[in-house]
Amino acid sequence: MILNIKNTFAEIGETTIFAKRFFKEVLIPPYETKEFLRQCYVIGYRSLPLVAITGFIMGLVLTLQSRPTLVKFGAESWLPGMVALSLIREIAPVITALICAGKISSGIGAELGSMKVTEQIDAMEVSAVNPYNYLVVTRVLACTLMVPILVFFADAIGIIGGYVGINIHGDVNFYRFLTQIVQSLEYLDLLPATLKTFFFGFFIGIIGCYKGFNASNGTESVGQAANSAVVTASLSIFIIDMVAVQITDLFF
Amino acid sequence: MEKQSGYTWKLGMFVTIGLLLFIMAVYFIGKQQNLFGSTFHITSQFKTVSGLEVGNNVRFSGINVGTVEQIQLKNDSTVVVVLVMKEEVRKFIKTDATASIGSDGLMGDKVLTISPGAKSKKVIEDNGQIASVDGIEMQDLMKSVKKSVDNVGIISEELAIFSHSMNNGNGALARLVKDDKMANSVSNTLSNLETGTKGFSENMEAAKSNFLFRGYFKKKEKEKKEKAEERKEKQEEAKKEKQEARQEKQEEQEKAAKEKEQKEKEEQQKQEDAKK
Repeated sequence: MILNIKNTFAEIGETTIFAKRFFKEVLIPPYETKEFLRQCYVIGYRSLPLVAITGFIMGLVLTLQSRPTLVKFGAESWLPGMVALSLIREIAPVITALICAGKISSGIGAELGSMKVTEQIDAMEVSAVNPYNYLVVTRVLACTLMVPILVFFADAIGIIGGYVGINIHGDVNFYRFLTQIVQSLEYLDLLPATLKTFFFGFFIGIIGCYKGFNASNGTESVGQAANSAVVTASLSIFIIDMVAVQITDLFF
Repeated sequence: MEKQSGYTWKLGMFVTIGLLLFIMAVYFIGKQQNLFGSTFHITSQFKTVSGLEVGNNVRFSGINVGTVEQIQLKNDSTVVVVLVMKEEVRKFIKTDATASIGSDGLMGDKVLTISPGAKSKKVIEDNGQIASVDGIEMQDLMKSVKKSVDNVGIISEELAIFSHSMNNGNGALARLVKDDKMANSVSNTLSNLETGTKGFSENMEAAKSNFLFRGYFKKKEKEKKEKAEERKEKQEEAKKEKQEARQEKQEEQEKAAKEKEQKEKEEQQKQEDAKK
C-alpha cells in the first residue's frame, strides 16, 4: 500500500522532471519544423472528424435534454444561450480533451513505447539525433497548439447541433439563434475556457510521451504504456478542469 | 517535398478556420458589449439603482442601444451611472430625456430605460447628463399599502363602536332592533296608517264621481292611455333590435366554433404527423 503510494509520487516526480526537460529543449535549436508540422497534421486534422461528431451530438443532446426543464419554467427562449454557455465554458473543452486523450495520448504512448522497445530511440541517440527534441518536443508542442483549435471547432459544431435540436420542436431563425447566443456570452465565458484547453493539450501530450518514453522492455509494455497514458491523461484533465474552474471562480 | 505539401494545405486550412472561429467569437462578443464602433457616454444620477449592474442593457424606445459601464456612489444618497451608447442613436436623444430603472420580465435582469423628453430639440453631448426618474420601489409600495391598512383599522374600530352602541345603547335605532314594545308600537302605527290611507282613497273615489272634479280625472286617464301605448311600441321595437343582435351574435359564435374545430383538427393532424 505504502509502496504503491510511493510509486505514484515517484511517477509524478519523474513526469515533472520530464516536463521540465521539455521547457528546456523547446527553446534550444535545432527546431524540428517539418516533424512538428506533420505531428500537427496527425493530431489536429486527423482528429477533426471525431471531434466534430462528438461536438455535434453534445450540442444536440444538451438542447433536447435541457428543453423540458426550461419549458417548465417558461424560459424556453433561454435555451440557445444556456446551451452555448455550457458548451463553450465546460462541455466542449472537456469532451474534446477526453477524446484527444483517448486518440492522441494512447497513440503517442503506443508509438513511442514500441520505438523504445525496438530500441529505435537508442539508435537515434547513437546517430547523434536528440530523440527528446525530435520525438517529444514536436508532439507535445503540436498537442498544446492543436487541442485549443479542435475545441473551437467543437464549440462551433456543437452550436450548430444545438440549432438542429431546437428546430426539432420549434422553428427558430438561424440568425435569431446566433444573436441570442452572442447576447448571452461574455469574454469571461470564452477566455478562461480557451486558456485551460492549452493546459489540456499540454498534459495530453506530455503524459503520452512520458509513458511511451519510459516503457520497459518487452512487447506487452507497449500496450501498458498506451493504456496508462489514456487513464492518466483523462484523470489529469478532470483535475486541471477543477483547478481552472476554481481559479476562474475566485477571480471573477 | 511533394509529400509534405500533401498535408500542409490541409493543416493550414484546419488552423485557419479554427482561428477564424475564435476571432469571430471574440469580435461578436465585443460588438455586443459595444467595445468596437463609435460610442458616446451619458451619465445620470439616481437615488438608488435597485440592483442595476455593470453590463446591463440600456433601452431607448424598447431597443437595446447600449450598456451600463460604471456605477459609482457620489455621496450617501446619490449614485452616478455611466452609460455607453451607440453613436448612431445620439441624434434621437435630446437633453431633456429621462432615465429610469425597470426590470426585464418578471424575474429578469434590471434594464435602464431612456425615455424621450417633450420640448428640447438640442441633441445630447458626449458625457452629457440626463435627469432620472425614480422607479417604484418596494418601500414606496409598502408605504401606500400601510396607509390603506391603517384606514381599514380606523373603519373597523368605528364599526365596532357602532355595533356596540346598537346592542347596548338606548337610542332610537337600538330600541327599534331590540325592544319588543317599540316593535309593537311601530307595527300598530303602521296598521293605523294603513286604515287611514284606505279611508283617504275612498274619499278620493268619492271625489272622482263628484261633478266638480270629473273633467280633470278624465283628462288624466286619457293621457295615461296614450303614454302606455307609446311605451308598448317602443318596447316592441327594442325587442326586435335585441333579437336581431342575438341572431348576429349566434352566427358569430357559430363561426368561431367552426374555426376552433378546424384549428383543433389541424393541430391533431400536426400531432399525428409529428408522431409519425
